[in-house]
Amino acid sequence: MKLFAWRWLAISSLLLAGAAGQPETRPQYGGTLRIMMQARLDSLNPAAATQADSFAERSIMRMVFDTLIILDDNGRPQPVLATSWQSAGKSQPWRFLLRNGVRFHDGTVLTAESAAASLRAANPNWEVTADGGSVVIQCDCPNLLSELALPRNSIIKNDSNERPTGTGPFRIVEWQTGAKLTLAANEDYWGGRPFLDLIEIEMGKSFRDQFTTLELGRADLVEVAPEQAHRLSLGDAHLVSSLPMELAALVFARDAQTDDEKSLRAALALSIDRGSMRSVLLQGAGQPAASLLPNWMSGYAFVFPAEPDLSLARRERSQVRTIPTWTLGYDANDSLERLLADRVALNAKDAGLSLQPTSASTADLRLTRIPLASADPWIALTEMSATVGLPVQNISSNSVEDLYSAERAELETQKIIPLFHLPMMYASSSALKNWTLRPDGSWNLADAWLENKPR
Amino acid sequence: MQEAVYNSAIPDVNLNAVYRFCLFPRFLRIALLLCLLSVGLLMKVSAADWNAPEQNLARKIIAVTGPGAVAVIFENRSSLSQRDAEIVENGLRNALEALGLHFVNENQAAANVKISLSENPTSFVWIAQIQQSAGESAVLLVSTPRPEGSLAARDSIPLRLRKISLWKQSNRILDVALLEEGPTPSHMAVLDPESVSLYRLQSGKWQQEQALPIAHDRPWPRDLRGRLIPARDHLLDVYLPGVLCSTASSLPLSLNCHDSDDPWPLIPGTLNGEKLSVFPSAGLANGASTVVPQMKAFFAPTRNFFTGVLTPTLGKFATVPKFYSAALLPRDRYTLWFFAATAGQVHMIDGMSDRAVNWGWGSDLTSVKTACGAGWQVLAATAGDQNSDSIRAYEFPDRDPVAVSEEVSFPGAITALWTEARGDTAVAVVQGRETGTYEAFRLAMACDQ
Repeated sequence: MKLFAWRWLAISSLLLAGAAGQPETRPQYGGTLRIMMQARLDSLNPAAATQADSFAERSIMRMVFDTLIILDDNGRPQPVLATSWQSAGKSQPWRFLLRNGVRFHDGTVLTAESAAASLRAANPNWEVTADGGSVVIQCDCPNLLSELALPRNSIIKNDSNERPTGTGPFRIVEWQTGAKLTLAANEDYWGGRPFLDLIEIEMGKSFRDQFTTLELGRADLVEVAPEQAHRLSLGDAHLVSSLPMELAALVFARDAQTDDEKSLRAALALSIDRGSMRSVLLQGAGQPAASLLPNWMSGYAFVFPAEPDLSLARRERSQVRTIPTWTLGYDANDSLERLLADRVALNAKDAGLSLQPTSASTADLRLTRIPLASADPWIALTEMSATVGLPVQNISSNSVEDLYSAERAELETQKIIPLFHLPMMYASSSALKNWTLRPDGSWNLADAWLENKPR
Repeated sequence: MQEAVYNSAIPDVNLNAVYRFCLFPRFLRIALLLCLLSVGLLMKVSAADWNAPEQNLARKIIAVTGPGAVAVIFENRSSLSQRDAEIVENGLRNALEALGLHFVNENQAAANVKISLSENPTSFVWIAQIQQSAGESAVLLVSTPRPEGSLAARDSIPLRLRKISLWKQSNRILDVALLEEGPTPSHMAVLDPESVSLYRLQSGKWQQEQALPIAHDRPWPRDLRGRLIPARDHLLDVYLPGVLCSTASSLPLSLNCHDSDDPWPLIPGTLNGEKLSVFPSAGLANGASTVVPQMKAFFAPTRNFFTGVLTPTLGKFATVPKFYSAALLPRDRYTLWFFAATAGQVHMIDGMSDRAVNWGWGSDLTSVKTACGAGWQVLAATAGDQNSDSIRAYEFPDRDPVAVSEEVSFPGAITALWTEARGDTAVAVVQGRETGTYEAFRLAMACDQ
């Protein structure tokens, strides 16, 4: 049977050396997992609006907090804190029966009241009530189940020190804001105590520092820049790649106001040579994209042409008499963004446009990397629209046809020009076993374990 | 998804094809084969029934192009096999022709239609990109839910160590016990994390008779393990981390569970001379005269291993290193024990000495008493390639293992390996790497080869 490509990607772990042929062993309890990451989290509250979504944040939130449900690899909802759910029909409230015997990390029992309060705080527009052992939700949200699986809808409760506490497989031991987080196994986790004793996470580390630390044996799991993955000498380490879950795109600061502006934006979109950028700058990583959603998620992304058309770009540009110089912003700390911005400016010049890359905080358009919020395409699209400032489309049904129409309408605003869909890549030590990536790109470490020594 | 209601998965009823098939008279076997072939053909037809989406897409295309001459090209970007893709292509061509289109070369066509067979995680997505002569273009989509994946067929390999599928389900299987009242099994018990399910063999099918829920206060540890042990005066004892359950000795059957740190038996009852209620005529396996003293070990209530504390003591050893599994080989004057320690080595203990060795074995081992070879074999799990574990039988002429069987491969990770109650066979549980489902196998030595 021919294997489904995205499933292959999801499990694409490149075992480069060492572990092949090692005898199978049962999972071993104990040990401290050392993780490094580039992001600096300023809050451990999953509903904190101040913090930009990132894969690092999702991963940490899912270790400390639980949601009512989670989406599996096929996008189907699976029980977490809710054991069953049902709705009488469209526009009718949903009822979620809570799992019995679950405790927060501070020892208090999870109740329908506490779960409802948590969801109300994260979603002021929802009507959330407790009814016996169930949580009842009434809202105008056609994809409620997928929304509930988002980390921001984790069930949290403030402990006696007003710090958020969760019910997840790990509890917070030490938190130095933006620098270091130490988690310990939740001995009473409803899903079984994790195998690992401790997880130490160091934040704000460059990719280079992370990999050097892994090479020195002082880290077990580090991030890898996709464009650098092919160059790494991994030794016994494993390289793991997620599905493409991040969109690199040009986002304009404001909507196109005039026909001239629309023509220039069309010319810019047509001038970009994503193929050579992928070969040279990304070293073959990622997928050129002219769509917001990756093809594995929607199934139709290839109908949006991603190839450059310089003659058409010049024709579009020629319709405009005065060519402004646009500033193209990028994150100075992100070397890939800088390289891509420079190349976009070069391509634009070929079409007769003028772009000035800048690391300043304000710019006419900005090269942005947007993590897709969910493996559910509707949630991914609506969350992206909210992030970028695109008009949110009405959802009349969950059909692929409507999804395509909605995405096309967003692209036709010309506020965003997709460039690439990028995977998240990680390198792990050979001692780290059975860790996986969830469909939303977050780590699943509850089942991970560290091998003491080869059998 | 909106109207979805979550319900616990229902276990698949798995026919123990090889075993039960052999119990059938010849004419019944032929009839069953024909029946299975018919079912297979029906499934094939059903899997290839793309009529509704074909008609749907054809109608959409006609609505844009109108009847007339078009050029159509097809592209399969999905996991559909070439054969299925051709079936879809033919179906679409027929549907389009029936609606008034006829197919011509690109330079003669009023419209060019590119039909792509694509997919996403939940659906097959078929897309028609239409370019008309006036420069107008249109993108049309239809989707149809992906069928549930089917298990890939596995080749059977002729081996001296044979595996026979017993049972398969989506929930984790901890142990399976075949309960034999006569020469053939008629009942089977399947232990999963929440219940013991009892099945009866009726008309060649295992029919569930009862599911006995397991009561436990604490969450189970990860990598949960458990054992079903046929008992002397009642049907079964169920050993789980920190919990011991027993079936009632009278009908109606129920399961009484309580917190317990009682040690788990390491040796099947029939090998130490017990007369079990479910094996009234069994006696010692294979008529063997060897009686092995019972040995029990304490299991860590919140972990996946034995603590290492043994009862009774093993010679001068009251404790051994923490271990995942154990096997034994009776010698003339002593019993040689093997413990797969959590630290990675195998500890070989004869009561006087403890020798830690590294034979490249996995953490699951057990032993069987058979009529083959030296009479006792140790079965040890090893890792094959990245997608399959395997089990191999070993004998010990002296103190080092000699492989006496080829490796038996499994389509995933071995999650349990226990000797069955009669002592001459073992049960292995495997979690499929691709499907995630659990399957229990009986392992039997074929000594006539």
